[in-house]
Amino acid sequence: MKILTVCGLGQGTSLILKMNVEQALGDMGIRADVEHTDVSTASSMNADYIITSNELAESLQGHKAKIVIVNNYFDMDEINEAVKANIEAS
Amino acid sequence: MDIIIWIATNVFGEAAILLGFIVLLGLVLQKKSASQTVSGTFKAIIGFLIISAGSGVIVNALTVFEPLWKEVFNLSAEPLGEFMGQEGFNAKYGSAVTLAMTLGFVINVILARFTKLKYIYLTGHMMFWTTTIFAGVVVQAAGDISFSKLVIFLSIFMGLYWTIQPALTQPFMRKITGNDNIALGHTSASVALLGALAGKVLGNKDNDSEKIKLPKGLEFLRDSNVITALTMGLLFLVGAIIISFKDTPGAQELIAAAGDKNFIIYAIIQSFTFAAGIAVVLLGVRMFIGEMVPAFKGIATKIVPGAKPALDSPIVFPYAPNAVILGFLGAFVGALIWLVVLGNTVGYVFVPTMIVLFFHAATAGVFGNATGGVRGALMAGFITSTVVAWGQFIMVKMLLSDTIPDTAMWAADSDMFLLGPIIRFLSQLFF
Repeated sequence: MKILTVCGLGQGTSLILKMNVEQALGDMGIRADVEHTDVSTASSMNADYIITSNELAESLQGHKAKIVIVNNYFDMDEINEAVKANIEAS
Repeated sequence: MDIIIWIATNVFGEAAILLGFIVLLGLVLQKKSASQTVSGTFKAIIGFLIISAGSGVIVNALTVFEPLWKEVFNLSAEPLGEFMGQEGFNAKYGSAVTLAMTLGFVINVILARFTKLKYIYLTGHMMFWTTTIFAGVVVQAAGDISFSKLVIFLSIFMGLYWTIQPALTQPFMRKITGNDNIALGHTSASVALLGALAGKVLGNKDNDSEKIKLPKGLEFLRDSNVITALTMGLLFLVGAIIISFKDTPGAQELIAAAGDKNFIIYAIIQSFTFAAGIAVVLLGVRMFIGEMVPAFKGIATKIVPGAKPALDSPIVFPYAPNAVILGFLGAFVGALIWLVVLGNTVGYVFVPTMIVLFFHAATAGVFGNATGGVRGALMAGFITSTVVAWGQFIMVKMLLSDTIPDTAMWAADSDMFLLGPIIRFLSQLFF
């Protein structure tokens, strides 16, 4: 399973989100390959899920991956909930 | 003895290999699986080598941008001159930068452990660029400095900066985020503080930027690739049109460089090439920072109880999205004004890199809004472009003209410009 975490520049905040998502997945016992990237690169990448904010999700519409929205990249509760509701172990 | 020399040349002398080892160590400490460890280490090494490739692309586009605008302003075409460039600099000093960045982080963790400043700096790509630019300043000031002196000086300076900077911005961060859990770890700290100050003195706090409704059409501002290509494209286009109407030898020479192609089309391609070069460099940085930062975080949280992560500037954006756009608008207007003013006074062609302007001005905008509302946010943006424009001129012309002026034109920014002269002074004092 491949997951992308996305922010505008693909450098800092998406990396923080990646670490937090990995932690959430780990707690739930889901194994996944999580990568962080910027929004332009993400639109041309293959993935099963894309996790990003509400604003950026709009420019990723039409992507094959399922888009999961997390607005506060630092809020573990929101991330845990989003992961639980949307991502299933495969 | 032979072994030590061998290791010094082939491991410490080869930045990509040294970085590979540091990342390998980090992955082992995190107890990653064998496959993750191998892929992470390889990606770190490849990422570092990609940076040089992308730098070459950026320099090529800049060598068209600079003479183009010099011709527009009728400046005597004095080129950048001979300089090492990011590629050559990485080959010679890349190891010192990599090591200083790692040791600087260690100093940051130690200071956080034993002082009241509990901030751990985790914005990896800025750690890399700040150390790189400062290394360029030291080498420019001190000449052919020894590896160990460069590493020791830089790691102490970086360690102090990474510990103190988040503490300085934290009072405002508490106000913006409403809690004390996260800190700002970014080189936009100085303009954020100046913005907050200006907002306090001249702004109007009651006119909060979050009360206004912004058009949806501004959403593309979130994509750094698009906005870089767009603004550089506009500047190249305007420059190319002016040149097309000129008949001077300089203009003819520029047009001749386009060959069979139409000059305006050629100029537009250059602007996209510039954006492409930045995208390549950022890909490289992402590849190794993505492996390094989680390791850093793992180490820090084990050693420092109650540590607060100091994070990249977009962490403040969700708290005032309108202030982000207002800050950027203030900076964009300022950048255009300064492009003309710098060109006509000191004869410097300012390269308004949108990545630097956007992230710094947006952060400053949020800080300015917190103290001075809409007016505060706009002023903070204008202050940012002022610091970035004049800072770039001083940096490129005086502080690292022989080393990496090419990097300073797109990757150097607010805090670096204000600390650059201090670094130069200290290196002249010590070396």
